[in-house]
Amino acid sequence: MPFNPRNLFPYFAGLLALAALGYAVTFGKLPPADFTFINGTEVQSIDAGKVSGVPEHRIIEALFEGLFRQDPQSLKPIPGVAARHEVSADGRTYDFYLRPNARWSNGSPVTAHDFWWSWRRVLHPETAGEYAYQLYYLENAEKYNSAQVEVRDRVEIELDDRLRQVEPFPRGTMVRGTLRDIIKPDEPEIPATATRDERNDFLARWKRAWVYVVDIDGEQRRFSPEAHDAPTVEKCLQVLLDFDEVGVQVVDDRHLRVQLTNSTPFFLHLMAFYSTFPLHRESIEHYGRDWTKPQNLVNNGAFRMAFRRIRDRIRLVKNPEYWDADRVHLNVVDAMAVNSPTTMLNMYMNGQVDWAETIPTAAVPDMLKHYQEHVRSAPMLTTYMYRLNTKRKPLDDVRVRKALAMAMNKREICELILRAGQQPARSLVPPGMEGYEQAEGVPYDVEQARQLLAEAGFPDGKGMRKLEILYNDHEAHKTIAEKIQSDWLKNLNVRTELKALEWGVYLDSINQFQYDVARYAWVGDYPDPNTFLDMFLTDGTNNRTGWSEPKYDELIAAAAAETAPEKRLQTLHDAERILMDGQPIIPIYYYVSLNLVRPYVHGFHTNVQDLHPLSAIRIDPEEKSRHLRALK
Amino acid sequence: MFQFIVKRLVWLVLTLWAVFTVSFILMKIVPGGPYQAERNLPPEVEQNIRAQFHLDDPLHIQYRDHLWDTVRGDFRSSFKLKDFTVNEVIAQGFPVSASLGVLAMLFALTLGLTAGIVSALRRGGVLDLAFMALATVGIAVPNFVLASIAVLIFVFKLGWFPAAGWGTLAQLVLPALCLGLPFAAYIARLTRTGMLEVLSKDYIRLAYAKGLSSRRVVLRHALRGAVLPVVSYLGPATAGILTGSLVLERIFALPGMGSHFIDAALQRDYTLVMGMVLVYTLLLYTMNFLVDLSYAVIDPRVKLH
Repeated sequence: MPFNPRNLFPYFAGLLALAALGYAVTFGKLPPADFTFINGTEVQSIDAGKVSGVPEHRIIEALFEGLFRQDPQSLKPIPGVAARHEVSADGRTYDFYLRPNARWSNGSPVTAHDFWWSWRRVLHPETAGEYAYQLYYLENAEKYNSAQVEVRDRVEIELDDRLRQVEPFPRGTMVRGTLRDIIKPDEPEIPATATRDERNDFLARWKRAWVYVVDIDGEQRRFSPEAHDAPTVEKCLQVLLDFDEVGVQVVDDRHLRVQLTNSTPFFLHLMAFYSTFPLHRESIEHYGRDWTKPQNLVNNGAFRMAFRRIRDRIRLVKNPEYWDADRVHLNVVDAMAVNSPTTMLNMYMNGQVDWAETIPTAAVPDMLKHYQEHVRSAPMLTTYMYRLNTKRKPLDDVRVRKALAMAMNKREICELILRAGQQPARSLVPPGMEGYEQAEGVPYDVEQARQLLAEAGFPDGKGMRKLEILYNDHEAHKTIAEKIQSDWLKNLNVRTELKALEWGVYLDSINQFQYDVARYAWVGDYPDPNTFLDMFLTDGTNNRTGWSEPKYDELIAAAAAETAPEKRLQTLHDAERILMDGQPIIPIYYYVSLNLVRPYVHGFHTNVQDLHPLSAIRIDPEEKSRHLRALK
Repeated sequence: MFQFIVKRLVWLVLTLWAVFTVSFILMKIVPGGPYQAERNLPPEVEQNIRAQFHLDDPLHIQYRDHLWDTVRGDFRSSFKLKDFTVNEVIAQGFPVSASLGVLAMLFALTLGLTAGIVSALRRGGVLDLAFMALATVGIAVPNFVLASIAVLIFVFKLGWFPAAGWGTLAQLVLPALCLGLPFAAYIARLTRTGMLEVLSKDYIRLAYAKGLSSRRVVLRHALRGAVLPVVSYLGPATAGILTGSLVLERIFALPGMGSHFIDAALQRDYTLVMGMVLVYTLLLYTMNFLVDLSYAVIDPRVKLH
């Protein structure tokens, strides 16, 4: 038989298969971690200036430390990088004195300059920080962040000479002066059919054409972000308020002074919040966006990042340079990115992880019954509610809104559907705010509800159109919506239609006011009623109900200016009273956290923000291996 | 042959371009944007994010720039995984999915071919009936149901494998099994049918008459003819394994392309979605192309053009 290459094919295919198999089954060795936990969805970034989620919070808090940190049990702010601080009598000036032994992981000291630079970066408009508004309490910070300037302001102009178009900002030459005039072209006609984004684009393009006349050392110069034909107009990148006008000032290397617009009683809480953490200037300037890569990262927290595999894990190891390293117990920690609650439960039950951040709804009753010592649950600063679109008939009538609220059996929702100890809500602000008394809205009262509805012109629901309940597509929201649908039908004879939307579409519908009733949840950023109440200011970005009440706006502003803590909380209470009377929302229940934690994990405390700093967690390896052996 | 390859390459470019264009249009017409969250950003910040991702440019400019970057092999930065570029995400995800896919495919082939041959040789016997019944079940049951059952048995009852995750071979076995099983079932049926047909051919009878051992007849002569339908099935099977791994990667928390793709779609990570769609297109196209090529190599009667 002559040689035919075809005959080699089976051998070739066989070899290929073997090689592929060899490739597929080769794995690097990874030593096990002391402590493994499930961190939920993949962390979007470890850049504290750019993110806003819970998984991000856990990692950033392990890697970085701000002026303050939170006590793992009470969440009270305790000193971090700042060894001590002083507050002026009017509560508007804070002086922070930094620890001499606070160091970056490369050994250099953490200084007041680091904070000044990081805050400027977070507030710079081009950074587009999602949590930049946490620093709005600083004088002029909001103005700087939203790029607003007025005539006679001190301004800083960044010239169009950036060497690299990468972050951080600003990178070009800066000139400083006093703004004398803004020459604006005619405002463009915006077509009535334009979407919100298109409208904003129109305005942004118009704003770019503005010419700023600035007085620099007695000389008048003209700048514009857009290239102009006139040779007298210099092209620039940004015209912003001079950052020196913003209320943060470096007195010396270890002394940072902060000037607030109002006395802000929860300000130290914000100093323990990650958007105010210091970032390492040199490494960010050197690596640009790649500074977050494990090999480039310079950080000042209790842990270092050993490696990161996307949607798998972030491995943390103890940071020997951390000033309080002696009190950090864990050496190696794995933060697993797992999305599916069922998979989380499987991994937990199998002993693969020591802490799972949630429990699948269907498994809650069983877990509470058979694994009670594993379930760590506590009320949270989160309220589940329905928004009512007060711009639409018949919901523009407060009596209709009240009737709907009163005809909703929230207790049954908690006890029959949620079943994890959630509490029915009658106020926007959840319990757990020290010294604050919630302003409760209407109770469950079917009789009264029917009467109100009749007064509004819909006796026994007659003449009322079908309402639409909008929610983002999720089993839990659907079940609750169905229950409310049946309550309203049974109690008021009001018919509703459920509409599940994909997340992005759902948010879009709310932003465009294309809804009757829509589910919503709000998580408090810090334990103060303000984090809930400032949401419903007239035209607030997160109001989205069309509700507006001047008296409410006044009270919120008065509370912000109030220095006496008790009086301030009373003012906030009065504001919430008005909100609950206006009923643009129906609070439904307060969340509880549902953690699964192995009994050998120590230093894990439940609290209202569901925060569990890794630096406080302790594990006895022997106890752990004993426990896991028993599991097998 | 050369002509065939060139023709296929031209079609590949056209296909990728069409996929790019359709994906681009779809992403632009769905309501909602990538920067939206339950908590609304101040409008100025939102505008800056839009500018950062060039979403404020006119559509045709956006299309042109994005297409040009893509042609140069730059899939841009991920919208949502802000620490990574899309290229980095793909570079990390691809090996995971490749390992899973290879193992599943080898598993499907080994099990499928063996079961098919045995069934054909023992036609009508107990083994044949058992294998074919299993194969029917295997084809009918979707892989995520298989996965739940497998976790229940192998993780919780027997304790042989970890429940999920990535990093050791043990963690790969269950997902590869669940992914490969339906394809194993299909391959078994194809092999059996092919074998039965070939075994009744004259040349097989001749081989037996010459006194060749039955092992030699089956493996050398019969299998060669019988395996052709299986080879042509490999194209669709690869496609099936690629798409099937989306679900399984999710269930077993594997950090592969599938997990990235699903999350990217759900989170509106436009650039990542685009990168994934194009890579998937390229993969499927290449696999089908290789199958066509190997078909010509195995069967002398096939001419490519």
